[in-house]
Amino acid sequence: MIEFKNLEIKYGNFTAIRDLNLTINDGEFFTFLGPSGCGKTTTLRALVGFIEPSGGQIVVDGKDVTNTPVEKRNIGMVFQSYALFPTMTVYENLAFGLKVKKMSPAEIDKKVKDVAKVIEIKDEQLSRNVSELSGGQQQRVALARAIVLEPHILCLDEPLSNLDAKLRVGLRSELKNLQKNLGITTLYVTHDQEEALTLSDRIAVFNNGFVEQVDKPYNIYNHSKSEFVCDFIGEINRLSPALAGEIARQVPGILAADKRCYIRLERISLKPREKTAKIQGIIRDFDYNGVMTKYRVDTPDCQIRVIHVNDGTPFMEAGQSLTMYLDPKDIMQF
Amino acid sequence: MKNTAKSKPVSIRTLMVKIVIAWAIVAFVLFPNVSLLGSVFYKNGQFSTEVFGKVFGSARAMKSLKNSFILAFTLVVTVNVVGTLSVLLTEYWDIKGAKILRLAYMSSLIYGGVVLVSGYKYVYGANGILTKMLLKLFPAMNPGWFVGYGAVVFVMTFSCTQNHMMFLKNAIHGLDYHTIEAAKNMGASGAAIFFQVVMPVLKPTFFAITILTFLTGLGAMSAPLIVGGDNFQTINPMIITFSKSSYSREVAAFLAVLLGLATILLLAVFSRIEKGGNYISVSKTKAKLKKQKIDNPVFNILAHIIAYFMFAIYVIPIILVVLYSFCDSLSIKTGEITLGSFTLANYRKLFTSIDAVKPYLVSIVYSLAAAVLAVTAAVICARFVKAAKHKFDIFFEWGMLIPWLLPSTLIALGLMTTYGERHAIIFNYVMVGTVVLMLVGYTVVKLPFSYRMVKAALFSLDSDLEEAAKCMGAGTLYTMIKVIIPVIFPAIMSVIILNFNGMLSDYDLSVFLYHPLFQPLGIVIKAASDESAAIDAKAMSFVYTVVLMVLSSIALYFGQGSGMARIRQWKQRRLEKRIAGN
Repeated sequence: MIEFKNLEIKYGNFTAIRDLNLTINDGEFFTFLGPSGCGKTTTLRALVGFIEPSGGQIVVDGKDVTNTPVEKRNIGMVFQSYALFPTMTVYENLAFGLKVKKMSPAEIDKKVKDVAKVIEIKDEQLSRNVSELSGGQQQRVALARAIVLEPHILCLDEPLSNLDAKLRVGLRSELKNLQKNLGITTLYVTHDQEEALTLSDRIAVFNNGFVEQVDKPYNIYNHSKSEFVCDFIGEINRLSPALAGEIARQVPGILAADKRCYIRLERISLKPREKTAKIQGIIRDFDYNGVMTKYRVDTPDCQIRVIHVNDGTPFMEAGQSLTMYLDPKDIMQF
Repeated sequence: MKNTAKSKPVSIRTLMVKIVIAWAIVAFVLFPNVSLLGSVFYKNGQFSTEVFGKVFGSARAMKSLKNSFILAFTLVVTVNVVGTLSVLLTEYWDIKGAKILRLAYMSSLIYGGVVLVSGYKYVYGANGILTKMLLKLFPAMNPGWFVGYGAVVFVMTFSCTQNHMMFLKNAIHGLDYHTIEAAKNMGASGAAIFFQVVMPVLKPTFFAITILTFLTGLGAMSAPLIVGGDNFQTINPMIITFSKSSYSREVAAFLAVLLGLATILLLAVFSRIEKGGNYISVSKTKAKLKKQKIDNPVFNILAHIIAYFMFAIYVIPIILVVLYSFCDSLSIKTGEITLGSFTLANYRKLFTSIDAVKPYLVSIVYSLAAAVLAVTAAVICARFVKAAKHKFDIFFEWGMLIPWLLPSTLIALGLMTTYGERHAIIFNYVMVGTVVLMLVGYTVVKLPFSYRMVKAALFSLDSDLEEAAKCMGAGTLYTMIKVIIPVIFPAIMSVIILNFNGMLSDYDLSVFLYHPLFQPLGIVIKAASDESAAIDAKAMSFVYTVVLMVLSSIALYFGQGSGMARIRQWKQRRLEKRIAGN
């Protein structure tokens, strides 16, 4: 179990992390999510030991590691840049940490080959220089190098961000399976909401040095605890007070009058449903990607974006009138 | 976001290394120069301006000062013209035979200093082959025509174009060809493109090269010494002359200080230009430069004539030196070469006589030792600066860069005058007259270049590599040896090789610091170029020069060319075999 207790990290006068309190359970896939500069990587680096906190404690399995040197923490790390040693082959990269531990050549050879099998690195790739590998292969080597030492905790700092979209999606599921099979506590840093939602058991959403919400992906998306979280995770419509008033008038007793209202794009229906407010608008323009169409619709009070999944119904054009159905229970209020 | 490294107390081992390096900087870089200044301006326990009277009262000293500045200003024009033409003719304009021209123009990289001046003397000097040919045509002409200001300017112009061939060539290759195509697309003529698109991009490089050329002119040593004659001596040869007598040694020191001040001033300007920044292409997809055809046939022919005329100037001395190295003494003396003149005796002597090979061994040992020492110090200091935990650590950077501000004559004179006496800072060891003195001098002058290059390599290294190693349990020293050094090893090797090459035929420093029993090549070659030198010595100097050029070429091949890449490929194959065998 990892515990951050009142953690504070400062760079000169700038406070990167303020009073962070967080507990990560054994075997959990935990993600730090947030925009650039929010403090997520800083927190991860403090856990690994690259940054000395200016206050608070980091406790791993009941032991205070706040002042333990990096090399003594037994935390594996996969860097955004992979940080593979360019002068070494794949084999030598994997064997590096084992040699530091002064293992016998036979032991090293066995462990390297075992981990290569698990991560699906082919035998012939072991003798190649890391610079000869593709981005995806390099990513595998970086992961293998981190887990070959059998660390207590695995930290991944935006490991998929340098890969193309298709490869990223493929490796994402492999990573999740691997983590479940090894049962290793994993901390994952990303600014990609989709990645966080797909991979994580729990997510901590960082903003400006604070943690805004810690929860399961479903709750983070559907029951955001703050405006920042609901705005940062996925796309959302902010409803004007007049439109919110109109919805409250049509379906009374659910929306509070003095709060700001947000609704996810996919929660707006284009087909009539019970206990929903009916809103009329004119299609201004749209983005079509085959699977679905995102329409931007002008209502008398504000613009609303709505998603229509391709179900074979005729395509609608700009300027056409559109009727939308909003369930007040789907609206998040702050 | 900047990461704060986890601060740990400095280990005893690191502290010891820091103390040793700091001591070396103080003892060999700072103290000798401060002591030299003291010897000039501080006499009998008080400040003295006596030296001003001596210098300003000395017609020779004043004339040498004046000549140095005249030479520096002249070279700025001539070297820029020849250097720029060399680069444009080989890299920008489409000239037939550009590859062979480039080889000739780049010869200044392997053939410079005292060796080159001696070579030119064998062509244009009183006994030179060209002079003898001219004398047959014009018997009344003065055989000693190639002496003085003109001769010095001519020799230095063609020997100082290496900065153009390295930096300007790179700048031209850095041009984005799309900008030229864009200008063409907008209807610009060849001249308009050259002056309005190409030249502005090269401007910062030109400024930098101009300053370096000016400094080279100011600190000229070999050319004025060998072909300057009595009427055109500059500061550095005068410093040698004055330093020989104890009465005028302070004049020599003062001239060296003046040279140092001029250097500092110009380097400050250089630094400002450097900070002003270069033009960086904003293009996302940079296109490789294509050579430009000169459309005007008259200009095209003119460009070819100039290109091959310059080619002749560059290669004739080299060809003659190579030819003479295979000639018997009589042919060298008379300057008349027939088929019967050729012999391998000179080379046989080099490889069979210990006396003949000794200058080589001396120069190779000193240059290699100094190159390795300077780079080792640079790696350690750059590491201290990168992992700086204390404001004091910046001292290591200053210590490494200070010799950049000081001309080598000043450094040599500082070491010579200071360590001819006992000083507690080096444990009362009298260094003058020992073999250590020249090694210290060679090392000190190579510190700034080594530091700048190593620091650039070290600082461009992805800091994640070091962190990754630490994550896997590696300590600082282990990480340095197993991860950092191997990654920057190509840069380290390049710097060692360039340092080695630069010192192999050194004369400027060696003339002050060499041990009489261990004369380096520069001293021997310079002595052989004197009119009074024995013919055998001249013959051997040709052999020395040829072997030197071969050595320098090999060194450059490994340091800058594809040699290092081939070593890496070989290493890769070896690793693959080893892993396959496991």
